[in-house]
Amino acid sequence: MKIDKILFPTKFDEFSYRSLETLLVLSKAVLKEILLFYVIPRDDVGFVPYGGYLKGEEERLREEARIRFEDWQRSLAEHGVNSRIIIEVGDPVPKILSIAEQEAVDLIVVNKKTRAAFDIPFLGSRTFKIITRSKIPVLVNRYIVEFEREGKIVTRINGEIFKKPLLASDCSELSDKALDLLLFLDGLIEKAYVCNVINSKLSKCHDRSALDTIENDSKRKLAEYCDRLKSAGIDAEQHMGAGEIAAEIIRLSRQVGASMIVMSTTGKNRLTELFEGSPSHKVSEKSELPIILVP
Amino acid sequence: MKQATAGRILSFLFLFLVPLTSAYAGAEKGPAIGETLPFYSLLPFAGMLLSIALFPLVLPKLWHHHFGKVTLFWVLITVIPLLIFYKMAGLSEILHIMLADYLPFIILLGSLYTVSGGILLRGTLSGTPAFNTMILLVGTILASWMGTTGAAMLLIRPFLRANARRKNRSFMVVFFIFMVANIGGLLTPLGDPPLFLGFLRGVPFFWTFSLLKQLLVAVVVLLPVYYVLDTYFYKKEGIADLPDEGINEPVRIEGYSNFIFLAGIVGAVLLSGTVKWGEISMLGVHRGVQDIVRDGFLILMGVLSLTLTKRKIREDNAFTWFPIKEVAILFFGIFLSMIPCLAILQAGARGELSWVITAVREPVHYFWVTGILSAFLDNAPTYLTFLNTATGGFYTGVPGPEAIALLIKENPVYLAAISTGAVFFGALTYIGNAPNFMVRSIAEELGTPMPSFFGYMFKYSLIILMPIFVLITFIFFL
Repeated sequence: MKIDKILFPTKFDEFSYRSLETLLVLSKAVLKEILLFYVIPRDDVGFVPYGGYLKGEEERLREEARIRFEDWQRSLAEHGVNSRIIIEVGDPVPKILSIAEQEAVDLIVVNKKTRAAFDIPFLGSRTFKIITRSKIPVLVNRYIVEFEREGKIVTRINGEIFKKPLLASDCSELSDKALDLLLFLDGLIEKAYVCNVINSKLSKCHDRSALDTIENDSKRKLAEYCDRLKSAGIDAEQHMGAGEIAAEIIRLSRQVGASMIVMSTTGKNRLTELFEGSPSHKVSEKSELPIILVP
Repeated sequence: MKQATAGRILSFLFLFLVPLTSAYAGAEKGPAIGETLPFYSLLPFAGMLLSIALFPLVLPKLWHHHFGKVTLFWVLITVIPLLIFYKMAGLSEILHIMLADYLPFIILLGSLYTVSGGILLRGTLSGTPAFNTMILLVGTILASWMGTTGAAMLLIRPFLRANARRKNRSFMVVFFIFMVANIGGLLTPLGDPPLFLGFLRGVPFFWTFSLLKQLLVAVVVLLPVYYVLDTYFYKKEGIADLPDEGINEPVRIEGYSNFIFLAGIVGAVLLSGTVKWGEISMLGVHRGVQDIVRDGFLILMGVLSLTLTKRKIREDNAFTWFPIKEVAILFFGIFLSMIPCLAILQAGARGELSWVITAVREPVHYFWVTGILSAFLDNAPTYLTFLNTATGGFYTGVPGPEAIALLIKENPVYLAAISTGAVFFGALTYIGNAPNFMVRSIAEELGTPMPSFFGYMFKYSLIILMPIFVLITFIFFL
């Protein structure tokens, strides 16, 4: 797994550029190109009731986006990162997904809300649609976050996001793919953490010996991951957790002081997702850290 | 800030309501609202229609973002005086138009829009004059069965894709608007909104088939004119000599299940017009059970289409809810602000618009007056207005469905003139019919330069359509 080409869709929010800056370290790896992408929502310029299309408005939005992107491009060039500007009119989510496939990018980076009140998710509906539908890894980046912890509003800046990643593994093949991604980031990682959570549902329906077997298998798999990371020159540490998966991953990420979470998506169908939810999506909604979701 | 805005809106409303309420106050309550409603009560309807006609031209950006508020304004200055001065009778009129007209109307448009948005025509199409003429013919035929909006949305993108290499595409889109987005919708109540409103008021489903002659005259003139024009430009552009681009994707239709849902919609509308399963009262409004079943079935067809059609098909169709949301909001305003106008016209010679009834007497008058107004205002309310003018003139005091039945039996040419005028003249301007602006919007988005509002009229519609309308007048309405 590699990260040669990144798609960076943006709505030019306050901290979009800061978010982009956090990716520049990837140029130390083999990042070749960043595609700066702006979608002019069709509904903003088209279908004026009984009026048609706001061509002038489209041109204005296009020009504004181009000027902003060109400003960003100058900074990217100073860091030795190639970039390309793409501006299109359309429905944002399908456009982002289709451009990602068309351009064969390795990672889509979406920028997320900076603030979240208690129990309100960090994810907007657009990001949620992207992470649930993308067949390409998605980094949900959050440069600055304000969130409630123990009754207080805490502000956190996620600057060096690749420094201390936590790989939340479910010991599946997809987790192996997520591990490959970490291995690719070897020069950027100070220390990696790998963890597995024994779901509280399993604890309820298995006896002690069965649980011991599951726990030992998980530990063995995590040890394998750590060995692979260490042999690639990355310091690694393994952790086990138990309970509700998403909450436990978030707890572990805070315990080890992780800078980002990397996990695979489960690929549940829409119906299962509706009733059960998916741990990866729940973590994306609730965690204050950037998250890479590997489908 | 919000309080200040609310204050400004209230003051503005007050300024409009004071003269209106005093006008209403001068009227005595009578057995029929239409006999006592003042002339001023037509102001909100005129305002609503003029807003639709003028805002997109003068302040398109403001209109795009605030048309909902403008609509609400006209609704409030219609509804508040009605409720204050006519109390339960006013409320009854409001509930009736909402439950018996607006709701079924929006359900039909919504279901047709949803279902047709699930059908996708893929593949490499070649924009030759023969192919384009065929697409226009197919679209014209489909329009009566899947609605002008449905047919236009289904075909406009493939049509433009097929002609991507052509330099002169504007005239093609204009003919597309003429035929697929308007004229083709004449044959069934599913075709064009005014005809469905007529159906809801009692015009039989198959009666509109009697308008085939008018449709054929228009098509027989328009298609050859298009073919000649297209052939001229095709040769001038030298397209046939250009090398093949090498991408040849076979032509195919995706989302077949939606044809079943489309058949379901046609069947449900047809059934509701042929059976009588009794009546039930909803908030005091009597509605046929068969109509309620139809509406439920149409919603079901839409839901099934949404659930069973692959998301990719809708996305590749660039399907969005925005246009139908706009139509729902605008027609909410049109229907409510139309109440005084319809009531006055229904009162016939006893209403404030008796002069209209006196002035508009002959079929030729109905064809042209309905037509001209349909071109600049929306054709659905215009159709209803003149349907009421005709029934009010011939059968004053006779309840709606009975009056329409009598009109069809004794004076069908009047209904033919109103229907043909409302449907055909919708093509005369961009604002004559809702699909016109959708087609224009899609064409411009995909890089086809479209003529301005007046350019469309003076370069195309007046020159091409007017002679056809004159011909139709001589053949059918004189």
